[in-house]
Amino acid sequence: MKYYSLVIPRESAWVVMNELARLDQLHFVDYDPQLPMINRPFANYVKRCDDSLFKLSCLELLLKEFKKNLNYCENVDSLLDYYQQVQQDRMKPGHTYFDELEQEIEQKKIQIQEQSANLQNLLDRVNIITEQQLVLENAKEILGQSMFQQQVPHNPNDYQQLKFGQLIGVIDKEEEVRFKRIIFRVTKGNAWVQIKDLNNEQIDNSMRKSFHLNQNNTSQPRCLFVIVFPGAEESSSLKIKLLKVCDSFNKQRIEYPNSMDQVQRKMMELAQQLQESKSLIEMTKQQLEQSLNKLVLQKQGCNCSYFEYMRLYILKEKYLYVNLNYLTMRGSIFTGYFWLPEGMEIMVEEKLRNAMINNRDHYPTGQIQQIKPQPYTPPTYFNLNEVTLPFQEIVNTYGIPRYQEVNPGLFTIITFPFLFGVMFADIAHGFMLFLCGIYLIFWKNYLLKQTDSMFNLMIPFRYLIILMGFFAFYNGFIYNDYLSISLNLFGSCYSPEKDEWKRESKDCVYPFGVDPVWQASGSSLNFMNSYKMKLSVILGVIHMLFGILMKGVNTLYFKNYLDFFCEFIPQLLFMICTFGWMDFIIIVKWLNTYENNTDPSIIETMINQVLKPFDKPVNPVFPNQAEFQLRITQILTLIAVICIPWMLLPKPLILGSKNDKHKVSMSDSQYQPLVSDKQVSEQDEDSNQEFDNDLQNVANLKSFSEQTQEEHDSGEIWVHQMIETIEFVLGGISNTASYLRLWALSLAHGQLAEVFYDMCLAGKLDIGGILGGLLGGYFYIVFALLTFGVLMTMDVMECFLHALRLHWVEFQNKFYKADGYLFNGYSYKKILNDNLKQSNSK
Amino acid sequence: MDLCVFGVDDGYAEAIIRGLRASFLTEAQYQQMKNCASIPELKSFLEETDYQNCLQADNPQIPTSILRQRLKKKLADEFEYIEAQSTGTLTKYLFHLRCRFMIDNVVNMIEGLKNKIDIEILLSNIDPLGWFPEIKNIKVLEGDDYSSLYRDVLIDTPIGVYFMKFLEESIENLHENRTLNDIQNLFREMKPEYIRTSLKKMWLEDFYVFCEQELMPTSQEVLLELLKFEADFKTIQVIYNSIGNRDLNTAAKIITTRKQLCPTIGNLYPDCEKMYLQAMTLDTLREAVKGCDNYRDLLKDAPDPLKREEFNVQTKTLDDIMYDDECRRYALAFDGQGSYGVFYSYLKLKEQEIRNIIWLAEMISRKLAKNHPGWKKIIIPFSHLGK
Repeated sequence: MKYYSLVIPRESAWVVMNELARLDQLHFVDYDPQLPMINRPFANYVKRCDDSLFKLSCLELLLKEFKKNLNYCENVDSLLDYYQQVQQDRMKPGHTYFDELEQEIEQKKIQIQEQSANLQNLLDRVNIITEQQLVLENAKEILGQSMFQQQVPHNPNDYQQLKFGQLIGVIDKEEEVRFKRIIFRVTKGNAWVQIKDLNNEQIDNSMRKSFHLNQNNTSQPRCLFVIVFPGAEESSSLKIKLLKVCDSFNKQRIEYPNSMDQVQRKMMELAQQLQESKSLIEMTKQQLEQSLNKLVLQKQGCNCSYFEYMRLYILKEKYLYVNLNYLTMRGSIFTGYFWLPEGMEIMVEEKLRNAMINNRDHYPTGQIQQIKPQPYTPPTYFNLNEVTLPFQEIVNTYGIPRYQEVNPGLFTIITFPFLFGVMFADIAHGFMLFLCGIYLIFWKNYLLKQTDSMFNLMIPFRYLIILMGFFAFYNGFIYNDYLSISLNLFGSCYSPEKDEWKRESKDCVYPFGVDPVWQASGSSLNFMNSYKMKLSVILGVIHMLFGILMKGVNTLYFKNYLDFFCEFIPQLLFMICTFGWMDFIIIVKWLNTYENNTDPSIIETMINQVLKPFDKPVNPVFPNQAEFQLRITQILTLIAVICIPWMLLPKPLILGSKNDKHKVSMSDSQYQPLVSDKQVSEQDEDSNQEFDNDLQNVANLKSFSEQTQEEHDSGEIWVHQMIETIEFVLGGISNTASYLRLWALSLAHGQLAEVFYDMCLAGKLDIGGILGGLLGGYFYIVFALLTFGVLMTMDVMECFLHALRLHWVEFQNKFYKADGYLFNGYSYKKILNDNLKQSNSK
Repeated sequence: MDLCVFGVDDGYAEAIIRGLRASFLTEAQYQQMKNCASIPELKSFLEETDYQNCLQADNPQIPTSILRQRLKKKLADEFEYIEAQSTGTLTKYLFHLRCRFMIDNVVNMIEGLKNKIDIEILLSNIDPLGWFPEIKNIKVLEGDDYSSLYRDVLIDTPIGVYFMKFLEESIENLHENRTLNDIQNLFREMKPEYIRTSLKKMWLEDFYVFCEQELMPTSQEVLLELLKFEADFKTIQVIYNSIGNRDLNTAAKIITTRKQLCPTIGNLYPDCEKMYLQAMTLDTLREAVKGCDNYRDLLKDAPDPLKREEFNVQTKTLDDIMYDDECRRYALAFDGQGSYGVFYSYLKLKEQEIRNIIWLAEMISRKLAKNHPGWKKIIIPFSHLGK
């Protein structure tokens, strides 16, 4: 990783950035993370992009409403190539294409929204007309003929001489009660109010359905009201007041004609209007469809709908401007800094040349210059592929590796599935997992299309799964465990003879894994437990020793010899002399035969080594060599004890004395780098580079001040070292014990499998007959379900988690600092891919 | 004790409020707003804040009235959400809070109708917090006939009670042998502002009683303190504004009006009532309130109401001083846990924030110079915390 500065003239900023984004390999550094985005030179462009995206999302809603299916882009690379093609054909400066698209989007949005608003208006109008028709029909029913006949004079003294006025209209259903009340209060009860529900819902729906519209704005249920009140004159105060009340309800009121003929005529008129509106709607709808279809259409050579094409382009543009904002602007020059993986300079320079060629006006494009020393810690860059990705993910979840420290992700590729396999050891279960991995690998493309498949989520982890399955399968052979039954593949060395097992010959050994005869013996569990326990401790110690070695590699790489001699070596010795020795005697014990009950207990030996350092072991591990064993144990114990102060004391002492020296020479050294850099800058005539060097000086000073800050006072160093030492020594014991989970989980797995087998299958097969067949079938199903549910899902998860823990805690705490930060390449591909997923999942 | 059970019913609602507390604009953000050169710039700034969603669909050159409406709508939406999440006493309590806005809306409608403003405009300007379905029916109002307005429309509404009390009181105050004409005259001369003040006074008293009777002690402790202060604030305002008011020409009339408008709760009532009712100058008013709290200090800087004509933008009016003090007190309510005070404070402070934004928007749209004293006339909620 190298740190570069990039200088681009303003005119070609867009072209350069556009080219560099295709490279995917630049990590731009924000020159001032404190500065809010809104105060940066291109904030306005970012804002415009956001606006355009917002408009597009409005359009998308409409598209959805009209059930237009967009073609989503599937291959980002070809789309990007297409963009480039379009740019070249335009023969205009590249950044102006955004302006064009922006305008086009604006126009489209206005046009389409206008059309849809028109359509909406027309639909509303149709609604109103149909509503009027309904109101008239209903009112005719309610009022009847007699309303028109009241002109006929009756007896002058009769109260019926009183003329009645009527008001007819529509209100919202929910306001019905309030309406009635107000009318009652206003007229003091002297009016007759009739309210009837209109089932305009129906009309509404049928109308909309015929136009394939979504039902997003169903109108509220309404009802018709008819008020009849005394006094027909136009000017009567009651009528004015009632009119006011009715109008204040904000819904339409309908003048009821005076005679039956007029009612008929009005109905006719309405029917005609309805017809007109309907044809208008048809037209508007066609226009709208046309403009929407334009958005759906694929342009020639482009692999997605025009709408998607625009959306992704704007996203890309926004990304460019956001990154351009990381550059400082000085006059007409942009200066920025970026990290570049080693060996990529040529590609960047080629891109810059490309930019020059592609640039129509052939403005000078930028130049890059490496900056040394690097002012900040570089980001950590991984060159991953589909196999290594999940393993690196496992490590990254714990923490990103510090720049250039040993990446545990590499070892995790094998150790993780292996430790998983030790816990999940079963030939059959392992093989099923293996098959699952194979399925994922070979049917990947088919599965990718199935968006709702559970396997879809597992695709990124397919290589992890197949390895996990393989190692579980392998370890199953070692433990000779097939769904809790041992397989007699190579012929056991023992054969039953009367009540005893007879070994065929003294040298006969079961060639691979555990002899199946153990299962037949009564002490199978005891034997397997002791075996698995020892095996897991051996694996654990090897794993941890490996971790400590990695620490050594780290210290050597960073030339941190203090840590190498004062931490790595004592730690390694401590581990070897205690648990390494324990592993050794475990293996020695396996290799030897002990007679007459003199087989040594490992635990006792280990404890006595510390508690009775001067007594000869009663049952020596090395037969007949008690004296020799005592010498060795004494030496080893002594080394281990010496290692503890070795870890604790020298490092802080040396650091402390260095600090004192440093403080004395501080006043001189602080200004030295400045002077030397000044000399460099004098050599350079170019004013630009001078400016760069200034910046570099600032950066130097910054890093220098950081260094001084890092010098803790000695008290802090002591505390830190004490904690580290205690953690290592105690951790050595507890971590070794922690690896016993390899045994415990494998035991749990084996026991569960055995229980399922015993409960469901064993014995059921012997029943025979039809009943036996049925029962066997039934119990087989139970067995299969339990095996799948408990062992193949829950136990896989459990073993996975424990393997994870063994890596994160027991392995990685030996060497892994994990305080780096991830390389974040400036790449169109990435941003577009991220957004593709979104649109697909919608 | 009530702290143990507060969370059972009201914990969620309070938690929402605590979360919304983070949405208040900070002093630095106000500073940035002041630096905006135009309304579109202000709008794009606001889109970076919590107000993003309510403004996005608008045209950049947004008029301040629409801006206010949008901001208020957002507040109303939040409030409605909290209301929907509340149960029991809290629901009642929140509804009481709404009544204040309903009163404002009703009086605004009446005022608008009197001035013959189109009903559509009036309806578009109502505060969404105080919306209720009957509001559009106020159109029925004929002339100044408030009693029929009450009878026809307002009787069903939550604020009908206050309106009825108001009508009763104003009619009672007339001399013994009143005629229908007298009543009509009374209504004709009545200023909407007067209606507003009296309705609010009644609401405040009612709310006070509600808090005293129904709420738990912790809430009471916070709320009664706030309400008392608000009542005192109202009292001082009424007295202050009536000093040298030309409409009130006789001393007796001043005192009866004051008596009608001053709330009968608060720290000033009843101890100082006699004194402040009699106060005819700013000095006597200061003297009257000196016994309570820091009111004297507050009034110390207030300009003399007798020189009302000389006021200009630069004058820090009594209202400004009071709002300033109010904001501090409301912000303090956020310090306590498990009380209903935060809901009240949240509304008040958000209102203040909206007032600030609108004020700045006005300043910006008028393109006033940056050294204009008006730029300083905003009160930033929670700004005292930084000090």
